[in-house]
Order: sequence, then C-alpha cells, then structure tokens
Amino acid sequence: MTQDQFARETFSPDAPHTVRRGFEEALAGTKDDVLRLGGMVENALERAGRALVERDVELADQVRWDDSGVNDLQRSINLGITALIATQAPMARDVRELLALYHAAAELERMGDYAVSIAKLAQQLAAEPEVPMLRQIPEMERVCREQLHNAMRALVDVSETAAREVCERDDELDHLYASVYEDTLALMAVSPERAKQATHMLFAAHHLERLGDRVTNIGEDVVYLATGNIEDLNP
Amino acid sequence: MSGITIDVQPMVEEPSRDVTRAGSAAGSDQPAEMDAVFELEGVSIHYGDFQAVRDISLRIARNQISALIGPSGCGKSTVLRSLNRMNDLVPSARLDGTIRYNGEDIYDPAIDPVEVRRRIGMVFQKPNPFPKSIYDNVAFGPRLNKFRGNLDELVERSLRRAALWDEVKDKLGNNGLSLSGGQQQRLCIARAIAVEPDVILMDEPCSALDPIATLRIEELMHELKSNYTIVIVTHNMQQAARASDVTAFLTMGEDRAGYLVEMAPTATLFTRPASKLTEDYITGRFG
Repeated sequence: MTQDQFARETFSPDAPHTVRRGFEEALAGTKDDVLRLGGMVENALERAGRALVERDVELADQVRWDDSGVNDLQRSINLGITALIATQAPMARDVRELLALYHAAAELERMGDYAVSIAKLAQQLAAEPEVPMLRQIPEMERVCREQLHNAMRALVDVSETAAREVCERDDELDHLYASVYEDTLALMAVSPERAKQATHMLFAAHHLERLGDRVTNIGEDVVYLATGNIEDLNP
Repeated sequence: MSGITIDVQPMVEEPSRDVTRAGSAAGSDQPAEMDAVFELEGVSIHYGDFQAVRDISLRIARNQISALIGPSGCGKSTVLRSLNRMNDLVPSARLDGTIRYNGEDIYDPAIDPVEVRRRIGMVFQKPNPFPKSIYDNVAFGPRLNKFRGNLDELVERSLRRAALWDEVKDKLGNNGLSLSGGQQQRLCIARAIAVEPDVILMDEPCSALDPIATLRIEELMHELKSNYTIVIVTHNMQQAARASDVTAFLTMGEDRAGYLVEMAPTATLFTRPASKLTEDYITGRFG
C-alpha cells in the first residue's frame, strides 16, 4: 500500500466513505432537477419546432403555457443551491459542481424562453399566407436538441471530452444560420410580399442559433466542473 | 479576501497530477523571489522512536497568513511548534532537516531559543492569560526583557493592535481572567505582540471561542498581517478558507508520520486542489 493510499483510508481510523451523506444526497437531487429541467426544455424546443413547421397554433400555445413550469423549477433549483452553499460550505469539486449547476439552470431557463419565442413566431407565421419553410430551420431545431441532449449527458458524466465535442459542433448551427440569413434575404428580394414571413423565419433561426450558444455555455460549465479551468469554447 | 497578493504558486498546475512529488518537495515550485520568513527543508521530527512528521519542505511568505490544515495526528501542531523551537521543551523531541528563519538556521547550536521565541510569538488553543491584571499581562514580556521605553505606551499600542484597547482601557487593573473568552484570547495576542515579534504562530486560536469572537480574531489576524507574519493551525477548514492567504494540507502515511501533500494559495486549494487526497479531505470524502 502506498503512503497516499494509506492516507486516503486512514484520515480517521474508523472513517466512513463519506461524512456528508446528507449533502451528497442534496447534491444528487439538485443534479437530477437540472437534468429534469433539461428534459423539459428539450421537449419545449421539439414542440416549438413542430408548431413552426406544422403551423400548429394550439401546440405553440401549450409551449407558451408550459414555460412557467421551467421557470418555477429553475427558481427552485437556484434557491436550493443557494441554501446548500450557505449551509454546507461546499469546497473544491463540490463548489464547482454547484456553481456549474446554478449556471446551467439559468442557461436552460433562457433556452426555454427561446422555445417560447419560436412558438410565438409559429403563431405569427400561421397567421400569414403560407410559404414553404426553409429546410435549414427544422434542421437547426434538430441539431439544437441533439446538442442540448449531449450537453446534459456530458453534465451527468462530468465528461470533459463530451463537453468539448458539444462546443465544437456549434459551428454547424452557425453555418445553418448563415444559410438561413442568405435565403431569407433572397426571398425578400424576390418576393417582397413575403418579407414578413421571411423575417419570422430569420428570427426563428436566430433564436435557434442563440440557443446553440447557450448549450455551449453548459459545455463550458462541464469543462470547469471537470478541470477547474474556465475556458471560452465558443469564441 | 479580494485584493490579497499571493506569492506562492500551486504545487502543480494541472489537476491530473502526480501528487507524490508534493510530499517531499512541496514549496519547490514557488517562485524564487518570494520573500520567505521561514524555509523548511527536509524537516522530520521524532518523539522518541515515533516519527511525527516526515521530510517537510515548504516556505512561509512574509506578511501573509499561512494556514496548516489536516486530520488529527498529521503533525501540523508539531510543525508549528518547531518554528519557534517549542518542541525543545519536550525532552524526547528530535528534529532533522533545516528550518531557516530570515535565512538563519534556528536550530544552530549558537542560536538562543529564548530569543527565537521572542521574535516568533505563539498563541495557544485555550486563552491562557496570567492571573494578573490586564496591564501586567501585556507588560510581563517587556519587563522580562528589561524593556526601557515607555511601558504605558507599549501596553496601549499592543492592546490597540490586538483590537482590545477600547474594551479594557478603563479597567486595565482588572484581572485578565475576568475577561470573556474572546477578549482573553485577544489579550494573549496583545501579550505576544508586546515583545515585538515579527511572527505570530497560532495553534487553533479560536477553537474555544464562539462564532462572533472567532470572526473578531480572524479580522484581527487580517489587520495584524501588515506588521506580522502569521502561521495558524486550524481544524476549522472554513476558518482557513476565510482567513488565510496560503494553505498547506498535511496528512499522515502508513507509519502515522505526517507529511505535506500540497501547499497553494488558499483560493486555489479550496476550489481546485492539485491532489486527490486534498480534494477528499476538504470535501469530506475519504477514499
């Protein structure tokens, strides 16, 4: 047995594996809540994207209504984390994890707002004469959901590698957005009477692009949690 | 602790590290220009046949608060007491290695341990004022050292520096033991200051105090560090995190001898420690 192994096992002769079972349970519960929040946002995004493509006003309404649940859960998570920091004096990886979860919850809440904005655009688009949906927009919505899912997976696994992959893939969304920008400008030039629809689609793509940036912020949180280093992975 | 300049660097830069090197060579990565009050090199201390600490090398920066933390029995108090030769008072104690104080080997036979203790004062776990007046408690050391200046001024200055003057200025003749626990500890700090040391060693100075008195001592330490170098042993990790600039984590090996795991700026050690051992200890996870 090495000196360090021995030390690890004998900080106290009868030391249990951890002396902070209550804290660990609370930390695990907080993580579960953040994952649940991620699932809610992923679901909202999928429905907002579908409402946009299918011109489904009622589905868009549901997304708007359900956002209060996202907001409530985010507030509850933040209050819980604040209480844990105040009462449990977390250190090292524990404090990094709580800060990462706090920030991730805030990013998820904002992503929920983007889903609501897309739902509103779906309703506005549905009120206008129909124009073909640009193919890049549902593609962006799909990539965003995959990215969000992968970021939450990286958070669960505290995987620096997975988090970096999420951040690198953000370029895909940026390219799709640039393409939407070109196509909507072209649409406005060719068919000025469709300028309103083109603008709505451009805004929807913009929200998705911004949502992708928020996902990379979560990736950065995971890298911080895993390494203790703060890096800008979406320069 | 914002605005505090920290002269030492983390032992190792990256988290996935070989922690074994920190055990014997801690401090070696610190920048050479650090103004070190103490330099410990390969310090091992025995009590008879029992090795209390092994091969500790580190440097203590001037005018900073350095905290020693670690589990019971890891030797942090032993290391602290070796800094002013208090272990000399234990007949079976033996020290190998070198401890330099301002560049001088304090265990050199030519060095007078009494002079060492005058320059390097100590405050203990339990407040231990003499059963004398507040004034005489503070004046005791200077009188013993045949102080020839204005004693009243020295007593007042010491009590002011210990943040006790306003509370006791009208009752200097009262017995030191009549003060509250926190006041008694500040009286002991005033007593240590009165002999004009440049280092104050503190061995769990707040463990017998309530939270408010504890915070007052920590605040006092912060004020004192502009004039003194402070080394504190504490079981209270929050105290080390709140009050110190640099923290050293010690633990014990298979033979129960304590050793240094890592020493780093406090903010670094408590947010991203280099060693898994440190991480496990400060987060309460063992193994």
